[in-house]
Amino acid sequence: MNPQRAILLVGLGGAGCSIVARLVPTLPAEVNVALIDTDASALGQPTGGEILQLGRAQTRGMGTGGEVALGTTSAESEEPALRRLFTGYTLVVLVTGLGGGTGSGAAPFVATVATDAGATVLAYATIPFSHEGERRKRQASEALERLAAKAHGLVAVQNDLLLLQVSKEAPLSESFAAADEWVAGALRALAGIFVPGALVPANPAAVRAILATPGSPTLFTYGRGEGAGAAMAAARSANECPLAHAPGATTKVASLFVAVTGGPTLSASDAFEAVAAVRMRFGGETSTLLCARVVPDFGERVEVAVLGASLPMPKPVKKGKGAKPGEEHQQIFGFATDESLRRGLFGGTPLTFIDGQDVDVPTYIRRAVRLPAGP
Amino acid sequence: MTKNKPLPALLAVIDIGTHKTVALLGQIIDGKARMLSISERRTDGVVKGTVVDLEKLHVSVHEVINDLERVAQRGIEEVYLSISGPAVEGERVKGFIAVPAHDGKVTNRDFQEAMLSAKRLEPPAGRATILYMRQPTMLDGKTVTNPVGMQGKRLEVNFWRVAMEEGNVRFRVNMLNGMSITVRDFILAAHAAACGVASEAEKQSGVLVVDCGAGTTDWILYYKEHILCAGSIPVGGEHVTNDLSVALRISRETAEDLKVRFASGLHRDTDANQTIWKDGDKGVGDQQFNRGTITQVASLRFQEILAFVQKDIIRQLEQIFPGHAVKLDQQFLPAGAILTGGAANLAEAAEAAQLALGLPTRVGIPKFETENMRKPEYAVVIGMMKAAIEDAPPAAPRRQGSMAWLRELFRF
Repeated sequence: MNPQRAILLVGLGGAGCSIVARLVPTLPAEVNVALIDTDASALGQPTGGEILQLGRAQTRGMGTGGEVALGTTSAESEEPALRRLFTGYTLVVLVTGLGGGTGSGAAPFVATVATDAGATVLAYATIPFSHEGERRKRQASEALERLAAKAHGLVAVQNDLLLLQVSKEAPLSESFAAADEWVAGALRALAGIFVPGALVPANPAAVRAILATPGSPTLFTYGRGEGAGAAMAAARSANECPLAHAPGATTKVASLFVAVTGGPTLSASDAFEAVAAVRMRFGGETSTLLCARVVPDFGERVEVAVLGASLPMPKPVKKGKGAKPGEEHQQIFGFATDESLRRGLFGGTPLTFIDGQDVDVPTYIRRAVRLPAGP
Repeated sequence: MTKNKPLPALLAVIDIGTHKTVALLGQIIDGKARMLSISERRTDGVVKGTVVDLEKLHVSVHEVINDLERVAQRGIEEVYLSISGPAVEGERVKGFIAVPAHDGKVTNRDFQEAMLSAKRLEPPAGRATILYMRQPTMLDGKTVTNPVGMQGKRLEVNFWRVAMEEGNVRFRVNMLNGMSITVRDFILAAHAAACGVASEAEKQSGVLVVDCGAGTTDWILYYKEHILCAGSIPVGGEHVTNDLSVALRISRETAEDLKVRFASGLHRDTDANQTIWKDGDKGVGDQQFNRGTITQVASLRFQEILAFVQKDIIRQLEQIFPGHAVKLDQQFLPAGAILTGGAANLAEAAEAAQLALGLPTRVGIPKFETENMRKPEYAVVIGMMKAAIEDAPPAAPRRQGSMAWLRELFRF
């Protein structure tokens, strides 16, 4: 397998492009980068990667202005270029911000093209802040459902939750920086499996097999530790990563891939201990793949990245004229994306709106209040 | 409904809440109730004050009735039911007449006529009227307590009409009829809570009663002896539990337990320095939490519930007094607010309510014979007993005649 064309990191839409542009300096050489957007100005960010402008005929270099339909047609008109872009890649990581026009409209189509081109697609989508309004929220949840059916793995991150992770006075950039680090760290680990010379190597094909089925509930966490017991600290921090603790997120999976990367002091037993700790938390009964690497310039630092998936639950068959042929084979979508799952014990009960807010969602989440750290 | 008949010798009241169903059975002697039995059971099939599973609710209510009958060793024939929650909707209805007398004096008959014209207005399709609450009467645009004998041209009578979905009413009645019990009347839960905890003097000067139950928060506002308005919000103590279980990633039971032991209506920064243990024995499975997280999550939710209540009150007051700037403060309600319901047990609940509502607040403890019923969550059921006795028409004179005993037997 050619490591030069192993992983493609794609930023789609305004939010996706800016996340990818922020990530570029921290990425390993094995990860190639591409930016896709309708807005020509967003594509100007220096990434050293490929650039694809969608919908030149439809939007003439402007954004979609939040129109989902425009985003979809823009992507469809560039299908040949998209196909060329994805050909040859094993893994495509699609980063997008849902809620707007390009992200919500084009993401499902882009994921379809990448899948058809033979790549495994892992989508990382952000859900807009609550205060961005009902329309963006609705567009995001609709797009998420469509994207989930197309992508092999999907990680949805509630922007609201990002605000909870940093202190009240911290600048906005700090909360995004934390989220960026999770993605970058996990990407580094994924890139690592395509580079020979691992302490405990993992077979790239086996890693791909974890995400074999589109629409499977996906787990994606990252943690790091330093100093004595760094491997265990990193495993703990991965267990506590907010990506895995968003209300309704996948917390138990059948298959796990755990990548442990550390400095020269990392021993195989440290790595196995870390994997055991991760397995305690997330399951991985069907299969657990381990990839351990030693990178000299890590020093005392150890990073643990976890990717996991389960087989999707069967979706109840829709009846009536609304059901399309073949729909009964589609898979149910079971993670943090579903609005009802953010509502904890009230999931599945009728929605209650007061002043346009779903009051079953905890107050501290709606108001983005940061809670005191754990004991 | 049989509310126009005189009070029976046995009076049963049932309060079906989201979390639990409580019932009392009392014997009425000279207009005073002597408690015969009390029953309390966990309610199943109700979420946020809305019935979602009829069968489960039926079982819960049946158990409660059985308990009452078994302990008291009597059969129950009639009950009062509490109503609360979002299914209950209040609406202002207005009736007026042009005073016909040439000297402009309002007679009692005119007054009755005006009231009838208000009550003649049909509730929206599919809803059944449960009760009417008197609101200030206006004579030529001026508020009067009793218009009879006064002079004016236009007499306007206002009511707050409480209506409920017809199906919702019918199924409650049917459920009890199925147990061979008739529903004597419905009592608005918030009104009952007020009867249980607020004094006449407080009602006269103006008081707000907030009953914060598990699934819903009901409020009622008394102003110059009248019920001015009432409302309900489908948020309650269960939401505090839910928030804690989401924030701490723990089960509902653990969250409920921690809420009772450590949550508070107010959050202080010093709470974050305390570490608390779930079980306290530091054994296997014990977990430690930051107390600050618990108080922060609980106080945010609790104060938000009260903020919603305040908003709802002001919205309704603006409808009643159009064009006036309504402010909910101590000047308007000198007696302040009274907090009842399970959530009133939260530590510093009154202080938090004072902060959120801007009114002096106390926790309402109902007066009752048995010690363990003197808790804010029993205000509704105890108040219902009181309201039922107050509400009933005076006892009819004993029927005379040689066939009296026979008439009594067959009730004709």
